[in-house]
Amino acid sequence: MSTYSIMETIVVLGIVAVALVYVLRRVIKTSRGKGDCGCGCGKDCQCNHKPVKKY
Amino acid sequence: MIKDIDKNKGNDNDITRLLDNEPVGNTVQVVHVMGDGAFRQRLLEMGFVRGAQVTVLKNAPLLDPVEYMIMGSHISLRHSEAAQVEVTDKDAEFCDMEDAFNGVVETQVAGVDPMADNVLRVVLVGNPNCGKTSLFNNVTGAKEKVGNYGGVTVDSKEGWFSMGGRKVQLVDLPGTYSLTEYSPEEMYVRTYIRDNRPDAILNIVDAGNLERNLYLTTQIMDMNIPMVVALNMWDELEKSGDKLDIEMMSRLLGARMVPLTAYNGHGVKEVLQATMDAIDESEQDTRHHNVNYGTLIEDSLKELGALCPDLDRYTVLKIIENDQHAIELASRQENAAQVQDTAARMRQHIERDYNDDIVSIITDLKYGFVRGALAEALTPNPNRATGVTKPGYSLDRLLTNRWLALPILLVLMWLMFEATFTLGAYPQDWIESGIEWIGNWIGHVMPDGILKDLIVDGIIGGVGGVLVFLPQILILFFCISLLEDSGYMARAAFIVDRIMHRVGLHGKSFIPYLIGFGCGVPAIMATRTLENRRDRLVTILTVPFMSCSARLPAYLLLVAAFFTAYQGLILMSIYLVGILVAALTAILLSKTVLKHDKTQFVMELPPYRRPTARNATIHMWSKGKQYLQKMATIILAASIIVWALGYFPRHEGQTPQEQIENSFMGQMGKAIEPLVEPLGFNWQMGVSVLTGAAAKEIVVSTMGVLYTGETDANEESTSLKQKLQSATKPNGEHVFNPIVAYSFMLFILLYFPCIAALAAIKREAGWKWVAFEVIYTTGVAWVVSFLFYQIATRL
Repeated sequence: MSTYSIMETIVVLGIVAVALVYVLRRVIKTSRGKGDCGCGCGKDCQCNHKPVKKY
Repeated sequence: MIKDIDKNKGNDNDITRLLDNEPVGNTVQVVHVMGDGAFRQRLLEMGFVRGAQVTVLKNAPLLDPVEYMIMGSHISLRHSEAAQVEVTDKDAEFCDMEDAFNGVVETQVAGVDPMADNVLRVVLVGNPNCGKTSLFNNVTGAKEKVGNYGGVTVDSKEGWFSMGGRKVQLVDLPGTYSLTEYSPEEMYVRTYIRDNRPDAILNIVDAGNLERNLYLTTQIMDMNIPMVVALNMWDELEKSGDKLDIEMMSRLLGARMVPLTAYNGHGVKEVLQATMDAIDESEQDTRHHNVNYGTLIEDSLKELGALCPDLDRYTVLKIIENDQHAIELASRQENAAQVQDTAARMRQHIERDYNDDIVSIITDLKYGFVRGALAEALTPNPNRATGVTKPGYSLDRLLTNRWLALPILLVLMWLMFEATFTLGAYPQDWIESGIEWIGNWIGHVMPDGILKDLIVDGIIGGVGGVLVFLPQILILFFCISLLEDSGYMARAAFIVDRIMHRVGLHGKSFIPYLIGFGCGVPAIMATRTLENRRDRLVTILTVPFMSCSARLPAYLLLVAAFFTAYQGLILMSIYLVGILVAALTAILLSKTVLKHDKTQFVMELPPYRRPTARNATIHMWSKGKQYLQKMATIILAASIIVWALGYFPRHEGQTPQEQIENSFMGQMGKAIEPLVEPLGFNWQMGVSVLTGAAAKEIVVSTMGVLYTGETDANEESTSLKQKLQSATKPNGEHVFNPIVAYSFMLFILLYFPCIAALAAIKREAGWKWVAFEVIYTTGVAWVVSFLFYQIATRL
């Protein structure tokens, strides 16, 4: 197995691990009732991460 | 004030009759609402008070419910419910409501420091469908759901704005007709205001329907919190030709009134400035205006108020009204027994004097105040169109016609689904070609290896398979938004109300069902407006059968791949099966484990409004953004995991087909294959429905990953649709045909909802019902798909 292949495998396994952690965290959060308002923070709908509009 | 009708005699009295016997076109006058409890209170709040005129507009296509017009609002009541309202001829002289106008009394309120807790808090309060969320979105830049029907907002939404360097928290509360204790939304708003004591209340009223909307204002006035009244839909009032003397009305209410058109932002700045001014003024001692209920009640309020000086006028009045929550507050006083005895004595005295029950008396007096104030400040246009003369009424007659209403509803649904397919096909092809090109390009430039396999098969195959349906999602939500904004959706509820009633569903269930076509989570939360727990449970457990937008990519893929004609109709049939199963489940539940008496329901029919392309586009874009965000997060991550499970462990010398069958995913799929085989599914389909538990779009992305693995190494990548069309079993037979595809769609439609929806069910109903839902929905999905597949293959 070449060095490139080994490096490539490590990178891919790393990506898979990150994806797995992300999905598990998301599933746990969701099952605890934390929705996602779509602002990207992954917290619940009352996260108030929206910008404050000035008048 | 009350002349010659004895309310306790009911319809024995020869000059009164019941509203349900009135023919279409008749206008009558309300004498009395019979019964007690929440439904009676709701009717009173909506304007069914002594002396109010009601016009019978029309029967629904199935003859029940009936549409009535009262105080300019259109109300839907079933015959059995209208039978609780006693009426008399419209010209009968038995009550003069303006007699009840006693002007205002003033209360001294001590100044407060609004910045004491370092944040200014303003709450939006108003009737359902008066434009609170439109204003909230406009002020804070939020994109909360709005609709031309009541009940869209079910809990508080918080946003922020800053003005003059001060940061303000704006809270959007659910719409409510009053602040009593009879329904969940009323209690929610009331408790929120009491517990959080905001620095100001921004009361949004529909300027075209002041009489009904100002009833709530009279209750807020009694809370002695700085208030600004925003006259929303001001453009409609101006168009109607009515003239309102804002100065005079503001003087009477003792609160600033500001014209507003929330949907286009006209007047927003002025409303916010008036709110800030009201907050600033509250730093000094001020005199608040309250409705003057006449000597007897005012004296009672003073006497009882002196016994409980910590409670505001609103709560003291509620104690006299025998409101249980107010009495509970009073019971915390040292002299609780004295307060309750005094309140009971006063109640008896007032009821004897007015010859009516206390709730009706106070409601009549509040409406009397509103009518008196409007008589001073509002000059109605004598030629103003109302009821049958309103523009759009002829269209309404067609849309709710006895014979045409249901066919029109079905044709509109079909047009929507057909447009989704035909118009969506072009941009879908472009996106598909783009994804294919990227896949081929990466395939050519990257050296063979595990990383290339991950990118091409896992990421592009999985995410790309779902991404191609973005145009269809956008088109469908654009159409739904047009129907919602026009006011047609509430008419659809009116049309099908009798059917819902027959299957044991509450009329209010229609709104959660409607929201359920978008997403099950807010739909389950929307059931909070249902008072009866059993009604709520039946609705919560049947909402997941309304096909949510996340399942749509799977249908679009399978219909496009295996049905060459009538694609719109086939897609529509899936949605109709969902509705049918929900109805059958509701019958089953309401006749067995959730058996209960049918609760009454009164629904307001919103006016027809011309939907705007701007609103529909905003709604469509917000859905599209959510879809793209899901692509970039959960679907991307899930596709990578599915790919890894289908890629490992690696075995030398195996074909791609053998490799995937021996992978972790393949072994898992083979284990469940016997369960799904009788439905016509192979193991890949079985695995796809399992991974769909995280999010339903993942059904398609999983198929995208699993079927990419079957592609020959030398073959140019083709679309997922083509791969499914050419997929074969070991014996050479095609895996998919129209029967298998439809059976698969039925299963996806009916089997257990995603984790987010199950979490919402757990929150609203508990673990027991989550377990029931998972077992029941999956059982129903299996039986329906099994029966369809087995019968269809034998025909």
